[in-house]
Amino acid sequence: MSFEPKIVGFLCNWCSYTGADLAGTSRIPYPANVRIIRVMCSARIDPTFVVQALAQGADAVLICGCHPGDCHYSEGNYKAMRRFPLLKQLLKAYGVEDDRVRQTWVSASEGQRFAEIVTDLTERVRALGPSRIHPELLNDQRER
Amino acid sequence: MEELKIGFYVCNCGTNIAHTVDVEGVKEVAAQWPEVAIARSYRYMCSNPGQEMIVNDIRELGLNRVVVAACSPRMHELTFRNACRLGGLNPYLFEMANIREQCSWVHTDKLVATEKAKALARGAVNRVRHHEPLDPLSAEMCPETLVLGGGIAGLTAALELALAGHPVHLVEKSDRLGGNIARVDLTAPYFYSARDLLADRLTRLRATPNVSVHLHTQLKNLSGFIGNYTATLETGNGDSAPRQKTIHIGNVIVATGYKEFDASRITHYGYGKLPNVITSFEFEQMLRSGRIQTQSGRPPRYVAIIHCVGSRNREFHSYCSRVCCMTALKYARELKSALPECYVSDIYIDMHAFGKGCEDFYRKSSEVKTLFLMYGKNEQPVIRKADAKDDCEMLIEVDEKLSGERIEIPADMVILMVGMEPRPDAGEVAHLVNISHDKDGWFIESHPKLDPVATTTEGIYIAGTCAAPKDIPDTVAQARAAAARILARIAKGKIEIDGVFAEVDPERCSGCRMCNELCPYSAIEFDAQAKRSHVIPAVCKACGCCVAACPSGAIKGRHFTDQQIYAQIEGVLA
Repeated sequence: MSFEPKIVGFLCNWCSYTGADLAGTSRIPYPANVRIIRVMCSARIDPTFVVQALAQGADAVLICGCHPGDCHYSEGNYKAMRRFPLLKQLLKAYGVEDDRVRQTWVSASEGQRFAEIVTDLTERVRALGPSRIHPELLNDQRER
Repeated sequence: MEELKIGFYVCNCGTNIAHTVDVEGVKEVAAQWPEVAIARSYRYMCSNPGQEMIVNDIRELGLNRVVVAACSPRMHELTFRNACRLGGLNPYLFEMANIREQCSWVHTDKLVATEKAKALARGAVNRVRHHEPLDPLSAEMCPETLVLGGGIAGLTAALELALAGHPVHLVEKSDRLGGNIARVDLTAPYFYSARDLLADRLTRLRATPNVSVHLHTQLKNLSGFIGNYTATLETGNGDSAPRQKTIHIGNVIVATGYKEFDASRITHYGYGKLPNVITSFEFEQMLRSGRIQTQSGRPPRYVAIIHCVGSRNREFHSYCSRVCCMTALKYARELKSALPECYVSDIYIDMHAFGKGCEDFYRKSSEVKTLFLMYGKNEQPVIRKADAKDDCEMLIEVDEKLSGERIEIPADMVILMVGMEPRPDAGEVAHLVNISHDKDGWFIESHPKLDPVATTTEGIYIAGTCAAPKDIPDTVAQARAAAARILARIAKGKIEIDGVFAEVDPERCSGCRMCNELCPYSAIEFDAQAKRSHVIPAVCKACGCCVAACPSGAIKGRHFTDQQIYAQIEGVLA
């Protein structure tokens, strides 16, 4: 059987989660690999959520928020955007490939875009194979 | 801690879910999970029998947590929370798994979809274990209202609130009340005099106690939350040092209006260069003074009216300004009645005659011998000065769409129907009262169809053209709607504040104040004496930005705690 990656998606309630719901109401198919967790704003996504997901066996993590300028909380997505490079740097040090963790923007009207993002991410991670997380990341996370 | 008893319910949603997900399989596996006291499936969980099932199980089995795997929580979370409340369970001890929009509707393979549905359900069950009961808070509602803007919207809203017996602070930036309507002569389509409409408002306002009018005044600062705002007003006309005043209010109506498009931005219309090219507002001025004449003091023989100046154009504003078409027709009628020999050309893109009485008005106006010429959005007419032999002031070249020909028409006067645009300080106002504006700069309502005058900030309402171009009836309707919303809040006396907000653990707070700056609502205050930050629950919108940022992990985001989300992550990956 081919490798089916597990992807955890953290989606903001106002734009991206609604956009994912719209993909559903519009019956736009995408791979079943993503499991969505709702947060109110992309700024709520603690870097430890991402680390925790990877440590628990996720092969990839997707973070979606409102498009810049459209945040329900006026600027939360900008804060999420600024935090992300730091997290990426940390993950890189632990050997997590760039493609495994993605931050992007999906509006409430972009069901099609959400489906395309999940499809693309799933294909990329399928090609990468299962995540081989550096044992230190697991230990560091357990100690929390 | 009491023993957990989780009730798990999975919905078929007719065949919407059951077609793609093995609902019975999900139910059976959930029944095996620790602390799940009961697992059931039902045709429609949101139906009355479905909800009653939850209510009865809570009462009879003593459930203290409930999970429903069904549609999106955006659809029915409130429905099931309410069912929990009816059963005697705190509504926040509930969680939903979205196995319809985010599962059965987007996947086709039943095996794969069922596995995913189980994972999502397990995430929800794991999460709900860590849920805590939350109760709404209550706060006082100050019955005074701040109205920003003394145009027809602000005047109407202020009058409505004051007549109901509540104090109103009406703030106007300029030296007089009236706003843009004070610059208009007659109104379309019924020819009511704008002066009369305004005089009616002003007379009634003067006769009403409770309204304090602040001219030459601007809002400088606003803090607090619904029912309990503090506003700083600054009054000054430039002659003396500005004076500041602080007032306490419960709600704010933003009715700051619009400004007209600057016609000189479209260079080939020659506004500001050709003496007889004027804007619609300048023509209103002529109508009000009763003298329609060219710069040289003669009545014009040829008048051309150009529509959509600055509107419906990618280079300037893509939107329609809504009132100009009817106003242009009104000009044609008024011109014909004042100067029966005058030739009127109406140069338009599309004639937008929606609204009560407008189509009839269009028909009647076309009967007064107006020449209608249609131009394409991207082929604007060109105005040039006529030669001495032409017997007119200007010539206008139009690529006329209906005839398909390039037509040249004479004009002694050209009226540019300038559209509406947000006031230059709209961004500043939005920032002061913490509301959003769209790409064009108009203030955004809470919901464009169902919640038109509210904003995403509680206690801040918008009315009139600051939200988008609109005519007088729509503006008045919005102003009264905003006032009615506030009156309903005042009548209730107290306000209820959602139990979901962030809270700081003072034991762990290091007093670094990072959160103070991050909070988009200034909901976090610093206690200089205790050297600790704390959240004002009523101001907090629960976005969770501070929770993720606190370097000491001292901030808890109620209902979205780290623990709850970690548990959900573990569940969906198990």
